[in-house]
Amino acid sequence: MVETFLRATLLGVQLGMTLALIAAGLTLIFGMLDVINFAHGALYMLGAYFGAVIAVNLGSFWLALVLAPLLVGLIGAAIEVLSLRPLYGRNPLYHILLTFGFAIMIQGAIVQIWGGQARRIAQPDLLTGTLSIGSLNYPIYRLFVLVVSTVLIAAVWLAIDRSNLGILMRASAHDTEMVDALGINVSKVFTSVFVFGAVLAGLAGVLLGASRSVNPGMGMGIIIEAFVIVVIGGLGSFRGAVYAGLLIGLVTAYGALIAPTLTDLFLFGLMAVVLMIKPNGLFGTTEAA
Amino acid sequence: MIGIYIYDTITREGMVRRLMGESSNRIATDRAPQSSISRRQYLASGTAVGVGAALGGCLGSDDGLTVGYALPFTGTYAMLGESIVNGFELYLEQSDGEIDGQEVETVKRDTEADTNRGVDVTRELMVEEQADAIVGPVSSSVAIAMMQTIENEASAIWLNANAGDYRVVEEGCLNYHFRTSFNDWQTSAPLAEWVYDNVADNVCLAYADYAFGQNSKNFFQKAFEEVGGEVVDEVGAPLGTDDYSTYLSDIESSGADAVFSFFAGSDAVNYISDFADYGLDAEMTQVGSGFLLSEDTLPAQGEAALGMYSLLHYTPTQETDRNQEFIGNYREAYDSSANVYACQGYDSAQAFAAAVAEAGSSDPDEMANALGGMELDSPRGSFWFNSETHEAIQNMYVREVVESDRDQPVENQVVETIDSVEGPNWGCNLE
Repeated sequence: MVETFLRATLLGVQLGMTLALIAAGLTLIFGMLDVINFAHGALYMLGAYFGAVIAVNLGSFWLALVLAPLLVGLIGAAIEVLSLRPLYGRNPLYHILLTFGFAIMIQGAIVQIWGGQARRIAQPDLLTGTLSIGSLNYPIYRLFVLVVSTVLIAAVWLAIDRSNLGILMRASAHDTEMVDALGINVSKVFTSVFVFGAVLAGLAGVLLGASRSVNPGMGMGIIIEAFVIVVIGGLGSFRGAVYAGLLIGLVTAYGALIAPTLTDLFLFGLMAVVLMIKPNGLFGTTEAA
Repeated sequence: MIGIYIYDTITREGMVRRLMGESSNRIATDRAPQSSISRRQYLASGTAVGVGAALGGCLGSDDGLTVGYALPFTGTYAMLGESIVNGFELYLEQSDGEIDGQEVETVKRDTEADTNRGVDVTRELMVEEQADAIVGPVSSSVAIAMMQTIENEASAIWLNANAGDYRVVEEGCLNYHFRTSFNDWQTSAPLAEWVYDNVADNVCLAYADYAFGQNSKNFFQKAFEEVGGEVVDEVGAPLGTDDYSTYLSDIESSGADAVFSFFAGSDAVNYISDFADYGLDAEMTQVGSGFLLSEDTLPAQGEAALGMYSLLHYTPTQETDRNQEFIGNYREAYDSSANVYACQGYDSAQAFAAAVAEAGSSDPDEMANALGGMELDSPRGSFWFNSETHEAIQNMYVREVVESDRDQPVENQVVETIDSVEGPNWGCNLE
């Protein structure tokens, strides 16, 4: 019983950190660009598919882990520069329709190119097997995902909080015109943020693609969870995305322990309760909402 | 079979479906016109020529036959729908597009694995397209929704090329319905005795928590207890579960020597891979319904699936001449490997051809009477239709996942054949 509980906790934290990676990109893009990016789940899925293809053809999980997110970043750059940029400042509905269109196109392209069958990225030999902690057996790969996601989240947090780029990003989000007037190329900052979000989503895709199946429905599945996290955490709040990610991860893991069929009810119930008490989410500001 | 890749929440399912539906309707309308336009043209010319053409139609000499595919061509089941069509058309191609000397026209309609769409599609195919045979669907919930329409219209035979829910026979018991595929009893219960004799006398049950998974689990449990086995625990996981860690804890702590599982599609990929990740394969033997370890999941499951057993009515590696010929022809035609769905499509075409030839017409009642009890020479091995239920009475194969020297790392190999399995008749007697 204790092992089951421990295992669920580890799983919840791991899931939470990986979800936070995805939600972080989503929330940053919203916070800075004011764009609700429906294509974010599709970018995560692309990361997983690129990872699968690279892992098979180059025979290395590690190359996949590095190259696939970069490729997704390139696609993110193309999306931002070619399609989103002309639409800034217009009714947000345009962004929703546009990115939703991209989500459908990417999903369609994946089915056309790789078919509808589920696949999976092979775990590197180094990380297969289980680790025994007392009487608890836990797969090494999942511990690896837990550590990598946590380190990445911490690094991003520091970068946003401390680095010049982070300050610039926050400033651009706060007052675009002022930053522009100070002689800083705001559109470059916007592109960087979008690409950064895409890379994080791609990374999560490769990491999760080796512990769950890679299939054409995964993008739409994850985007719902990511949105729930962003809404609970507060739109545009990075800190909120991390805490809400952890919360959702744990609720999912414990939910499966207590009442598997009700897990989704717990998630959406939690969101409803948070919205009733704090309409702007846990860390949302009225301004962002 | 239900539930490949489908998501567990209504919201997600709706999202996926809406998305896929929107993008795919366009594809569907691109494809469908080839057949439907020619049909409309035919009707138009019929009106113009008037009575003569109408009489000609009645005589049926130059009318030709129409096959309506009520299958998913988009969304999560698209691959299954495509395979069934490929199998069906392989047969047509081999007989020069004719059955019993009559030209065969095929019409595709996309059910999108949506119960409502399934009903509309069936009505369209039967009323507008005047189909003589309906081939499909993939999903059991669609099949159950279709029953009423098929019965009311009474104008076509229904070749059920995949939907395996026993309730189609128990509740429907339609004279027009013929299962060219399998039912959920066949892919679970017959394995029980083999497991008891060869693997273990106690099992834990693990299943995707929806109709098909529950049926499979219940049928296995009943059969296993009848031969003296003990079911120590059961674990249900929602459809579309991404991570089985928690459920695997329960399975492990049940202490059983074997686990009987029903999962399909990406669920099966996740479940089997997690099972190996947690090292449970060293503690207990995995057995299950054939969809747990099928040709569409094995490439992703890979070595994690080695040494696991499953039960199905068709295995592409079967060494019989009939099967090897089928596999070869299929590869030549489509440049891909035949799977169980392709075999079911092919056999649906064989059943239709046999029905028309035997009945001497495309009258649905005559075709149905001709098919009851008829034997077909299938790549899976010959099978015949139970004349009471119209279920296929067929061999079931116990397969083990072994290393392969072909293009995939692992494959199924038949270790035992259970001959001519005849299931319960669920109170249906069509004789």
